[in-house]
Amino acid sequence: MAACTNRLDKFILSMRLLRNQQLQNERFLSTSVCRPAPEKDSDPPKFTPPPKPVIIDKSKTIILRKFLSPEFIPPRQRTDPFKFYLERKDMILRRKVLKIPEFYVGSILAVNMADPNASGKTNRFVGICIQRGGKGLGATFILRNVINNQGVEMCYEQYSPLIQSVEVLKLEKRLDDNLMYLRDAMPEYSTVDPNMKPETFSTSGEVPVNKIKVRMRPKPWLKRWERPKFNIQGIRFDLRLTPQQMEGAQKRAEPWREYDMMKEYDTSVLEEQIFSEVQSEMSK
Amino acid sequence: MAAWSVRCLLQRGTRLVSLRGAAAESPLQLVGCIRTVKTTTWFEEHLTEDNQEYMRKTMAEEYRKQTAEKLNPLKDEPWPRQEWAEGSRRVGLVAVKLGMAPIWTKTGERHVVTMLQVQDCHVIKHLSKEEHDGNTAALVVGGKNVSPFHRSEEQMEMFRNAGVPPKQKVTIFNVTDNAIIKPGTPLYAAHFRPGQFVDISAKSIGKGFQGVMKRWGFKGQPATHGQTKTHRRPGASGPGGDPAKVFKGKKMPGKMGNVYVTAFGLKIWRVNTKYNVLYVNGSVPGHKNCLLKVRDTILPTRSSTLINPPFPTYFTEEEGDLDEDLYDGNLFAHTEPSLTLT
Repeated sequence: MAACTNRLDKFILSMRLLRNQQLQNERFLSTSVCRPAPEKDSDPPKFTPPPKPVIIDKSKTIILRKFLSPEFIPPRQRTDPFKFYLERKDMILRRKVLKIPEFYVGSILAVNMADPNASGKTNRFVGICIQRGGKGLGATFILRNVINNQGVEMCYEQYSPLIQSVEVLKLEKRLDDNLMYLRDAMPEYSTVDPNMKPETFSTSGEVPVNKIKVRMRPKPWLKRWERPKFNIQGIRFDLRLTPQQMEGAQKRAEPWREYDMMKEYDTSVLEEQIFSEVQSEMSK
Repeated sequence: MAAWSVRCLLQRGTRLVSLRGAAAESPLQLVGCIRTVKTTTWFEEHLTEDNQEYMRKTMAEEYRKQTAEKLNPLKDEPWPRQEWAEGSRRVGLVAVKLGMAPIWTKTGERHVVTMLQVQDCHVIKHLSKEEHDGNTAALVVGGKNVSPFHRSEEQMEMFRNAGVPPKQKVTIFNVTDNAIIKPGTPLYAAHFRPGQFVDISAKSIGKGFQGVMKRWGFKGQPATHGQTKTHRRPGASGPGGDPAKVFKGKKMPGKMGNVYVTAFGLKIWRVNTKYNVLYVNGSVPGHKNCLLKVRDTILPTRSSTLINPPFPTYFTEEEGDLDEDLYDGNLFAHTEPSLTLT
């Protein structure tokens, strides 16, 4: 340590000496030689101002929304990740042919499908997406609509070759991930105009959340939607249930479930890896 | 076996604690451990930690070299190849069950397939007619490399003679004399082609001790209407006073599953030659990541597709220009445009 400091001192001294030498030389030169003489190399360089700072206005840059379709994320199983990789390759090949857009539960979609029994051999269905299920190539989504006072639900497989096009007419999210309760809600909440025109939506920023609270038909319902297991935010329970019934439903709450460590499944690292892989493959 | 392993863990725990002082094990420390199985030893028992690591590394390198040597079987003086004749049986493969996925045909019908990956499949030994059973020759095939440290010496001798790393599953395939292959040859998924039919044998998932309703599909008894403690019981066990006995083979509760089951006549829809994956129709016995025995069908109605198969097996050198993915004629490949039914 002492040796280092010694050497350092010597170094600094030597630097100072050199600098002093240089300055002295310059002084001599500047007084002895009369101006102007800028062509000589021994002159000090001309003053160059520093380069102008480039100001990046972060509020004006457009950052595209990062979206990874939920069927790419593999479930927590004992399967070899290689099997998911093979499935992903097939999914990407199919996605290059059929454009499956970004959509969420609650968005309004229109699907054109090949049908041997339909006139013109294709049929078109417009509806609100109530559920996205399945992982990998077997991923499905269910569209619901009310046609001639009859509620109709169509379950489509995203990667089926019979599907010719999927368009998003209105992109929005809802307060829940699963809108199965629309079967027990008033029909106007499930009615979508089949001739609706697509609305434009931005590719950056947050997806609009529709905070609508749906009115329900009188009980009995298909499921007891008030129970905490379903965790539904988008129903107006106060119109159909008394406070005593709501309290009775809360008896079935299982508050220890959120602390269950065996059920923890952190997909953040996996999601990033898969997202970068899918992005690079799609851009090829 | 379980008790032995438990004792083993305890012993390892004590030994590791003592080794932290960076000294070799002293005989005094081993006196305190209880050793019940005195016949077998594990490879680390009398080695220091450095030697253990060295053993692991050298073994891994050796096996990598062995697999690299065997990648070109045709340059390695193969046995003389003969032509395929009517009635000849060729060798099968050992594969790993990966999982299941949906597929679609060109008419839009949806089927399910099981994906099987052929990992490190090698021919290990040839048993001639006399050695095997007097009727047909046989080839011993193994799949999926494992560590040599938990295999017995007799098994290791067999693998060493073939020049192949030790395998997890070793099976015997009955083979006609014109289809024998030199031991050490690697076998690939392209041995099978799309459109062929295969039989797959594997150990079914073990369910443990099960009652008669699950094991044999008995109807049981009603849940209500006065049944006293009898809802899932077998009921009667035979005719009555005339035989005055219970016949042998009577269906009763017992251990279910974990037996070899064969699924016959499964169609191969797709073969991935790059990763050695077979896409086989329907479901297959066994759990995920289990090892299966795959061979050509014995069903007479499905054997017509076996005309001109790769005989005796697929060699990369002579047929190396296969596409990465081989599809069956009816299968919809995802690179094609969406179907328009006319």
